[in-house]
Amino acid sequence: MHVFLLGVSHQTAPIDVREQLDFSSRDVGAAVEAVAARYSAGEAVVLSTCNRSEIYVASDDPARARRELIEFLHSYHGLPAEKFESHVFVRTDEDASRHLFRVAAGLDSLVVGEPQILGQVKDAFQVAATRQCVGPVLTRLFHTSFGVGKRVRSETGLGEGAISVGFAAVALARKIFGRLDARGVLVVGAGEISSLTAQHLRAQGVGEIAVTSRTAAHAEALAADVSGRAIPWGDLRSALAAADIVITATGSPRPIITRADVEGVSGRRRGDPLFIIDIAVPRDVEAAVGEIEQVFLYNVDDLQAVVQENLSRRSSEIGRAEAIVSQEVERFSAWRRSRGAVPTIVALRQRFEQIRRAELQRLEGKLGALTPEARATVDEVTRLINEKLLLAPTAQLKALPDEQTQMAYTEAVNRLFELRDETPVSAAGEEMDVEQPNRPRS
Amino acid sequence: MKIVPLLLYIVSGVAYAVHFARRDPGVGRAATASLFVAALAHTFLIGMQTMEVHHIPLASLPTAVSTFVWLLTLSYLYLEITTEERTMGVFILPIVVGLQTISVVSPGVENADPVLDSPWFWVHVASLLCAYASFALAGMLGLTYMLQFKEIKKKHLGYLYSRLPSLLTLDTMNSRAMTVGWVFLTIGVTVGVIWTAQSRALAPENPNLRMMSLDDPKIFFAVLTWVVYSFALFARNRLGWTGRRAAWLSFVGFAIILLNFLPIGYFVETSHTFQ
Repeated sequence: MHVFLLGVSHQTAPIDVREQLDFSSRDVGAAVEAVAARYSAGEAVVLSTCNRSEIYVASDDPARARRELIEFLHSYHGLPAEKFESHVFVRTDEDASRHLFRVAAGLDSLVVGEPQILGQVKDAFQVAATRQCVGPVLTRLFHTSFGVGKRVRSETGLGEGAISVGFAAVALARKIFGRLDARGVLVVGAGEISSLTAQHLRAQGVGEIAVTSRTAAHAEALAADVSGRAIPWGDLRSALAAADIVITATGSPRPIITRADVEGVSGRRRGDPLFIIDIAVPRDVEAAVGEIEQVFLYNVDDLQAVVQENLSRRSSEIGRAEAIVSQEVERFSAWRRSRGAVPTIVALRQRFEQIRRAELQRLEGKLGALTPEARATVDEVTRLINEKLLLAPTAQLKALPDEQTQMAYTEAVNRLFELRDETPVSAAGEEMDVEQPNRPRS
Repeated sequence: MKIVPLLLYIVSGVAYAVHFARRDPGVGRAATASLFVAALAHTFLIGMQTMEVHHIPLASLPTAVSTFVWLLTLSYLYLEITTEERTMGVFILPIVVGLQTISVVSPGVENADPVLDSPWFWVHVASLLCAYASFALAGMLGLTYMLQFKEIKKKHLGYLYSRLPSLLTLDTMNSRAMTVGWVFLTIGVTVGVIWTAQSRALAPENPNLRMMSLDDPKIFFAVLTWVVYSFALFARNRLGWTGRRAAWLSFVGFAIILLNFLPIGYFVETSHTFQ
């Protein structure tokens, strides 16, 4: 049984093609059922996000799977195959598992290390699982991918460090204050980044967000956006005394918060830390404010520098993440190979059992004279001999290092024991077109 | 037998360091588990010594240091379990291992000076050791606060930034540890004064008791410690000296304690050098 993957992603297809092949806006469950119904194994998972549409199936014949999935995409989305076929990528077995593991780890994402994708992979599997469209192969594959995502998250710094100015500000706030609930936020001047940062802070459960602007209407609009409270421009100083986090983004040509302003309220602040995020250019906050004890002043360049540092740290973690992916690919492949030997092992066991029964049958005349207890012993002893003889070959066949060797061994076993109905388990993609005799199902 | 807790502390110290560097939660759990086992072994050792000398082994410097290490470990474990914060282990374990090594390599004989045979003495020493354990935690929390403060203030978010708890968490833990330590220190010093007065009446000729005054280095530094921590708490509550100032004070206070505990305890003849 092969793992086969066919899909488009942001790396292979432009957005208009991805849009047309998107499943997420339609019923993904129905699509999974439609795909699964086409395969004897009945295993399929559809992973569809804004950056990718991928179909994973377990198939005996990857070449056929490819044709069928192209045909499926064509009929399901009503899109001529020639419009998307050149953008489609396919992966088989080890490559397919590596691809999924990299996706789950966030290595294949537009923003490397982003955490949402793991949840999307889990959802995709869940949709298929609730419709009973997954079997042992894809279940194992996807469960392993969840583990890879988790390992990469906990063992590497791939997902660490904010990579947008807004999130960098939130991460800093958390590093200063710990939990942000009940922290007061003051937004001075309405702008896109200040609004975004305030929204991130709101999502972290901060206390009151006070918004002020020279134009009262702007303050009210932003306050409504972030469920905050608009306050008059004249109240800026007193609001400064109550705030823990200040975001400034006015168009003022001169600083609007001076060292004297902050020092003036420091008595009321009783030494509480004050985190000021100055997004405005030219700056809204005097640089000297940053010299005050317990004031942490970050301007837009400082935050950009943090983001850059985080990005370079993330890329330095890619190697470690890839190493984890490789380990898990190897483990999954070993498991899949051990399954590849299963039909041969089953046939071999059946053959041995068949011989044993035939011999017992042949000696029926002589054994007939034995007491029931003695007959049971003969039966048990012969069975045990078979078991012992099969023990080592079974273990060896399951543990073969690669598919070429496995083919050679299963072929040899098939010939040696005349397992007529058995065929070697085919391996690499290039041999897919070779005509294969029917394989019995185990 | 004395070496077993030390070896376990070393193992756990290495585990905390690996956990700090690699941030592997499995290693972190192993570190906590090994520290827990070390604390158990140490409890057993102290229990054995208690049975041997019929009192908690506090009356010689090495045994007092060992008991201090034990208390520090227990208070650290308490802190770790209540805050679910393991990163401090890498700062605490070096103190634990260092002091426990001193305690293991230096021979210590429990004193049998009859003057010490008083419940006041045990309350005095036990309270001070509890105070020192709390101040050791506070000192390390203060140190990490200062390191992280510097990174955030200088806008260079480096190695520690991604590992340490938030500044406010460190500050809160520091404040709690200092408060607990101050209460024990106050009890310890007060009891020491009462006990000295009582013993003087009973044994007016005892040379140790005659030396008990502020001129004595041990007592001088103990009172200095009390002044520093009292000021730190006052400044925090009244002057708003939180954060870096409080962290700095807690670190200085702990430095004075270490000085008083080790060099003065070992090398300087004081009123507390009982024969």
